[in-house]
Amino acid sequence: MERMNGEPKALRNVLYWGLPVLAIGLIAIGWIAFSGSNPDLMPSPAAVWSRFIKTFTKPIAKTTLIGHAWASLKRVLLALMAAWAFGISFGILIGWNKKARAFFGSIFEVIRPIPPIAWIPIIIMWFGIGEFPKILLVFIGTFVPLVINTSTGIEMVDRINIQVGQIFGGNSSQILKDIVIPTALPSIFAGIRTSVSSGWTTVLAAEMLGANAGLGSLVTRGWQGSDLSLVMVAVITIAVIGALLSVILQKLEKVVCPWNH
Amino acid sequence: MSERQDLEARLQSWRQNQKKETMEYVLLSGAGILTVLLVWQAVVMTGMVNERVLPAPTTILETLIFKLGNKAPDGNVLSVNILASLQVALSGFLSAIVIGVPLGLVMGWWTYADRFIRPIFELVRPVPPIAWIPLVVVWMGVGLQAKALIIFFTAFVPCVINSYTGIKLTSKTLIDVSRTFGAPNYEIFRKVGVPSALPMVFAGIRVALGNSWSTLVAAEMLAASAGLGYMIQIGRTVARPDIVIVGMVVIGAIGAGLSLILSRAEKYFLRWKINR
Repeated sequence: MERMNGEPKALRNVLYWGLPVLAIGLIAIGWIAFSGSNPDLMPSPAAVWSRFIKTFTKPIAKTTLIGHAWASLKRVLLALMAAWAFGISFGILIGWNKKARAFFGSIFEVIRPIPPIAWIPIIIMWFGIGEFPKILLVFIGTFVPLVINTSTGIEMVDRINIQVGQIFGGNSSQILKDIVIPTALPSIFAGIRTSVSSGWTTVLAAEMLGANAGLGSLVTRGWQGSDLSLVMVAVITIAVIGALLSVILQKLEKVVCPWNH
Repeated sequence: MSERQDLEARLQSWRQNQKKETMEYVLLSGAGILTVLLVWQAVVMTGMVNERVLPAPTTILETLIFKLGNKAPDGNVLSVNILASLQVALSGFLSAIVIGVPLGLVMGWWTYADRFIRPIFELVRPVPPIAWIPLVVVWMGVGLQAKALIIFFTAFVPCVINSYTGIKLTSKTLIDVSRTFGAPNYEIFRKVGVPSALPMVFAGIRVALGNSWSTLVAAEMLAASAGLGYMIQIGRTVARPDIVIVGMVVIGAIGAGLSLILSRAEKYFLRWKINR
């Protein structure tokens, strides 16, 4: 990219390290100034911090912030495990077998464009607002990217690699296991990463539309009770956990498919 | 001569085989969808599943036609809901492209812009767009602007990330060649960097479109007085599963239609690209 010459080295260093600090500083000042003049619209950082502390001493809906975070995480993890098992196998099936792709792929293509959030009303009508409907919703939201990534990964395996396997006398299941799936692994892993972030978003939506526990329910509770500090605490917690999840997956990807980098 | 005839005969049989396989594929695809519809219709008609829980496909079709001209139960005919949703989704989505793509490109090219904007962006990025809904509603109410802002947040992030990554991946050789020929940095950015980032940019826009449409539904379910998300939410509260399913079908169809339009646009803008 652009070579950073033209300015003296000292100025370059100041700009390089000063600009990020300036950016964060501007955000902080902007937040404090805005909340100072409009406390009804935006709680100040201090108010958010004290609300954060209060979530531990005074439980909301019988549990602390950690309990709510765990409730959301548990739903996502349960749904993810089911989605990984079903989504990846279904993706392999429709990526590998042409007949299966024609028959099931068409059904999948019809259901796919419906966003997971649009399932919320019908699933509430069918199953209420208990634990199972939420897990089912997250399952729907995470199943789709997994199937798409897995089947594309399988379809894109080079024909030559498959033919080499055939020449060496491998049967269909050996070729699938030893050549096709390892080649498709980076793509499958991309699907897993997408599934985690989309699962985290979907659980939030499901909880905002009806739940007694979970970070999404805290957002709604704060919103309806005009307790914007609580909304901010929940939103920040959601963001931090989301960011942590994506960091963990990045590390995991390096372990699972090291040849990808 | 006979060798040529032999080749042509083989080409013919290969073509026929190809044709047969395509036919089979189309037939099987149709059979898949038809089977689902028939099983669905059968379980409802035999009473295995209550009509109040899952209406039959024929009922869904009737409701769809009914909704074209009737305002019940949510207060708007279908076309008004569709227009309301499209207006919100597209205004948020398009403004995200107009702001997000140039921002990502500039961040990827000029280091100082990257150093300044990146920290702000990284703070906003991990917040799922749905979590913005309460704050935005408190700030701006439930009007078009508020919902468009929420859509903007969701479409903005992939636009920036992909433009940034795309321009960072510009071939070093191309940049060096341009520099050797004496092109100023801005010109290299415009004539080399931006075109080579375009495929990635389009991938980002594609993700942004999917996000926009799905967040739109959430925004309308939580705060709206018209739109497809509002329609399915009302359908739930008045216990009309047929309305809910009609809404889902229309949402899915429009989503698919939008992504088709985007594919066409992508093909048009990347027509210079040689596929190797």
